[in-house]
Amino acid sequence: MSRAVRWIVPVVALAVAALFPLAAGPYPLAVARSVLTYMALAMSWDLLLRSGQISFGIAGFFGIGAYTAALSALHLGLPPVLSIVAAGVVAAALAAVLGLVILRLRTVYFAITTLALAEIFRVIMQNGGDASGGPEGLVMPSLIFNGEAKALYWTSLAAVLLSGTVSALFQRSRARLALTAIRNNELSARSSGIHIFTWLMIAFVSSSFLQGIVGGIQLQEYGFASPDSVFDSYYTLLPLAMALLGGTYSTPGPVVGALLLGVAAEYLKLKIPYGHLVVYGIIIVLVILLMPRGLYGVYRGQVKAWAGRPGVDRG
Amino acid sequence: MAIFVVAAAGILAWKPSALIYGVQRAGLYAAVAIPMALVLGIVHIVNLAHGEFMMIAAYAAYFAARLLGLDPFLALLPVALVMAGFGLAVYLATVKHAMKAPELNQLILTFGIAIALSQSVNLAFTSQSWKLSLAYVSASATVGELSFGVFDFVYAGIAIILAVGLRLFLTRTRFGKAALAVGENPRGAAIVGINVDRTYALVFALSVALVGAVGSVFLARQAIFPNVGGPYTMKSFCLVAMAGVGNITGVLFCSLALGLSESLINSIRGYAGWSNIVFFLIIIVTILVRSLRERKS
Amino acid sequence: MADLEVTGLGRRFGGLVALQNVSFSLSRGEILGIIGPNGAGKTTFINLVTGVYAPTSGCIRFKDRDITRMPAHQRARAGISRTFQIIHPLESLNVLENVMLGFLFCRRMRQAEARRAAEVLCRSLGLEGLGRDVAQITMLELKKMEIAHALATHPSILFLDEVMAGLNVDETRDLVALVRGIARERGIGVGVVEHVMSVIRDLTHRVIVLEAGEIIASGPYESVARDPRVIAAYLGKETAGGGA
Repeated sequence: MSRAVRWIVPVVALAVAALFPLAAGPYPLAVARSVLTYMALAMSWDLLLRSGQISFGIAGFFGIGAYTAALSALHLGLPPVLSIVAAGVVAAALAAVLGLVILRLRTVYFAITTLALAEIFRVIMQNGGDASGGPEGLVMPSLIFNGEAKALYWTSLAAVLLSGTVSALFQRSRARLALTAIRNNELSARSSGIHIFTWLMIAFVSSSFLQGIVGGIQLQEYGFASPDSVFDSYYTLLPLAMALLGGTYSTPGPVVGALLLGVAAEYLKLKIPYGHLVVYGIIIVLVILLMPRGLYGVYRGQVKAWAGRPGVDRG
Repeated sequence: MAIFVVAAAGILAWKPSALIYGVQRAGLYAAVAIPMALVLGIVHIVNLAHGEFMMIAAYAAYFAARLLGLDPFLALLPVALVMAGFGLAVYLATVKHAMKAPELNQLILTFGIAIALSQSVNLAFTSQSWKLSLAYVSASATVGELSFGVFDFVYAGIAIILAVGLRLFLTRTRFGKAALAVGENPRGAAIVGINVDRTYALVFALSVALVGAVGSVFLARQAIFPNVGGPYTMKSFCLVAMAGVGNITGVLFCSLALGLSESLINSIRGYAGWSNIVFFLIIIVTILVRSLRERKS
Repeated sequence: MADLEVTGLGRRFGGLVALQNVSFSLSRGEILGIIGPNGAGKTTFINLVTGVYAPTSGCIRFKDRDITRMPAHQRARAGISRTFQIIHPLESLNVLENVMLGFLFCRRMRQAEARRAAEVLCRSLGLEGLGRDVAQITMLELKKMEIAHALATHPSILFLDEVMAGLNVDETRDLVALVRGIARERGIGVGVVEHVMSVIRDLTHRVIVLEAGEIIASGPYESVARDPRVIAAYLGKETAGGGA
């Protein structure tokens, strides 16, 4: 694919996304906003996945971001945008400290630990008494941009742009080679001079930073954070399924997955009040068994085949 | 680890009811974790749906109780057999195909299965929690001034039976020895004529059957709801990891450590809500201690 | 003073002594053969020198620095490199990217520079078609890629762990010439672990023989090949007439 063509799709998509609020009614706009939230989270999850580590703790850092934004706005008087930045920074710092210990673990044990993390954070916030608002959580006096629907949408779009940019940076730079090498074979990676722990840390902190930002934005858009709402495993499950379906180890993959599943989620929630999440479980199982590289991965494989020769993996 | 257990027990000697509660909790954790030690520790299959299988078994036992009037202990064997079949079916349909793929895939796959299972139950029976009321679960004993429930000791009993039984199975039976061989070196096992695929399938089914048996007993005392299995999956993994892969008796000790610690925190007024995260702290400490030990060597 | 000086190197795994009292030296431009029957400790030997794990006894000095406790990735940067007996190419990367790694992470080049350097290196080894997936290359190309990957870290010392395995006579000859060129033209000290004696005979300046974790003989190939202890080690106790 020539370079110009490769830029057309993202630019057009971005234009459509940016102009969407001007044409859409309130309900589609709200749905779109939630799709954007999951999209950003899905991209952040993929970031760490590239190193071979699976995190089941998206909800954990997302929730920490939400609480940080709330607490910094309520107690430190930070303006909304700064509180969102603080959310990202605190999530990143927390990931850095925790990473020192848990990044020694691999695969299953790392994954379970991240799952436990989300639960730990929830319990801490729940038992935090007045400081964290306890089980009822914290309520904000006002929403960002006064809750104006279009502005909220564009804020979420900004989060997607941030996630997408970070993801693309990782793909274009030496980070891609480092993380892929670590994922394929740590011993080979080490003998190439790659310091495994450093790169894992970079991926983990970046991923958590993004999750914190998205959490902060969520708080500012909805005006409240409670242990059960922001640490809901929904925020782990959906992005995971979306990235898997759309295509892992890429930037466009999670975008595609979020669009497809995000819209489907809304529909399912209306039709099946209890247990609509079963569809996600089934999707995850099917994707892993039948299409492990996801839709975008299949597409890329096709492009290679049509080109008649195996191409360099750019994504 | 042993020191830790003794210390915790020592502290709790001041609060005997907490000590008893801790041992009972430990029994439950151990009973659920030992089948995990079999499937993860011995043959290295990652099954994140472990707790969900227990939940399904509990629901099955519930229906056996409501529709057939079967006491959960009587239902234990039939439920275990049904779960064995169910586990085998799930394995053959899904996990089997991920065996050659990187472990990442098993992880995500069984995570998906866990969600599918718990949400199917949610879909079918809503998230309401169900409970049986059986007379004998409130049996209690009195020692001096202390009175405590005795039913929950049954879990500890089951855990010990499982541990001993599993040990015997692995070392004395042909199938058990095959399982050990496959876990240690699948290619080598294949060369000496062991049917590796069948071994994996049957061990998986056995692990599901065992955790299903625990699930049946679980129903007798606890309330069940679709997500009840999740925390047990987590804790089982942590216990198997702490004990060290392949170490079944270690799981008993680590469960004791976990149960006693949780009970300890629980008994401190005002901090009861934190007991859930004790296991996480124990993991962190274990990791740190292990990596420090590695540095030294 | 040789570039690599190893004294009294040893490694225990619990009760098992994998290697003990191994001492040798290697300088730039030399080719050292390392032979011994299966299980003699040859790969453990390489693992210790390259830092995969730390020795339980002994000392490794490289360019007059004590590197005994230095972690693997730092040793790669310092100039000690190796190939692996069972090659695990990084299958998500293509041939060029596999080779680029050393340039990127040991020599800290930028991506474009590293790409060019990798292309030049591959061409000099006769490796073409760099955009291919590693699943599609031949055995000989895989070996060359593995060597290129190790050379990309700009080593002064390179260990080749049974790199000739699985090659036919012509391919072996090809690779022997290649290795000889590497030592001579790039001034790299090469340690060659091999089972194929003709390779050892044609390629190496000196040989050390490992058996049960210890060095039982060292010297030029001709003298080592005739050493009765070496013959006994390879043929086993029965033929050597009892006693180890």
